[in-house]
Amino acid sequence: MNSTVAGAARFVREVRKALNEGPPAVGVLVIEAEGDEPPVGARMLVHLGAVEGSLGSQEIDRLAVREARALLRAGDGPRTLELTAGCTVYLELYRPADSLVIVGAGHIARPLCTVGSLIGFRVTVLDDRPDFATRERFTEAADVRRVDFTDPFREMELGAGTYVVLVTRGHKYDFEALRDILARDVLPSYIGMVGSRRRVRACFEQLAAEGVAPEVMAGVHAPIGLDIGAETPAEIAVCIAAELVQCRRGGTGAPLREKERVVERWIVRPDEGS
Amino acid sequence: MTEEQAVWTAVEEAATSDRPVVLATIVRARGSTPRGIGSKLVIDPERGLTGTVGGGCGEAEVIEAARQVLLTGTPQLVRVDLTEDLFSWSAAVCGGVFDVFLERAGG
Repeated sequence: MNSTVAGAARFVREVRKALNEGPPAVGVLVIEAEGDEPPVGARMLVHLGAVEGSLGSQEIDRLAVREARALLRAGDGPRTLELTAGCTVYLELYRPADSLVIVGAGHIARPLCTVGSLIGFRVTVLDDRPDFATRERFTEAADVRRVDFTDPFREMELGAGTYVVLVTRGHKYDFEALRDILARDVLPSYIGMVGSRRRVRACFEQLAAEGVAPEVMAGVHAPIGLDIGAETPAEIAVCIAAELVQCRRGGTGAPLREKERVVERWIVRPDEGS
Repeated sequence: MTEEQAVWTAVEEAATSDRPVVLATIVRARGSTPRGIGSKLVIDPERGLTGTVGGGCGEAEVIEAARQVLLTGTPQLVRVDLTEDLFSWSAAVCGGVFDVFLERAGG
């Protein structure tokens, strides 16, 4: 980065722009190069339509841009690869944080807004009650909106990268919001809805009667959250947040102790007992 | 703010005030490591640390290497090995190995 200190400041600005508002971009960084050609530390930023910076040669740049755009389209995590013999680059995607839309601004919504913000979501809270949908109640939220529950997501996009949690005061509102979401061409990354087994069942029966496909319903996390015996609003927020992380990172949700079984496998061997 | 945003904000603030900092990024990881590829740590001699590349497990080595990078401005690829003997009382017992790329940024 020595040779490009001025360029580096610009790079950082552009990265922050991609992270804060988009559009997404991929950074390419030379981490190993024989004979320092291209220079180790050289960076470029690749957008879908434009490229900023250069790794030093047209040939290397062409290969780097191809790899960067592949990563950009796939939306994958970072990777390190050998671009040419002796030249290794590291690529990473910069895009805006995932968005958590909490429908209903009641008891669960407050701690969920806090935890959701802590774990890196851009949080939006929706409610139709002016006394509840306030910035004072949701200081960590990026956006708090008063909406009409007959059309709660007006002018909102709920595509990939959006996590929707339905926790309104009335199951009818939850149901209508869910129906609205499931009728869309593009579904959010996550849809969760609170409710007892009975309530959830009634909701799915109604949707089935309206012709919603079972596989579409199977994608809805209802009842919401992981089974940790949550009781208070704060505990329920943790149980929902745990499921959000699981959806984002792809864990099983099972206790790690049971997954690894360290004592059973290495400490107490069953055949040694007899 | 996400961890990623916090890290890049720290780098930009350092750049704005013309203050050199080191940006450390995990660029390879295998075995059991506390953090995966892409995890970052900003080492700012004035403001301290932002982000993490794994805490006790190997982070001290990264911070140590950052001194040199801060002084010379030459980027470094540092291998952190966490496969030491479990009873050595070392922090490096997680079981994996990761490579961290350190570069001077900001000033």
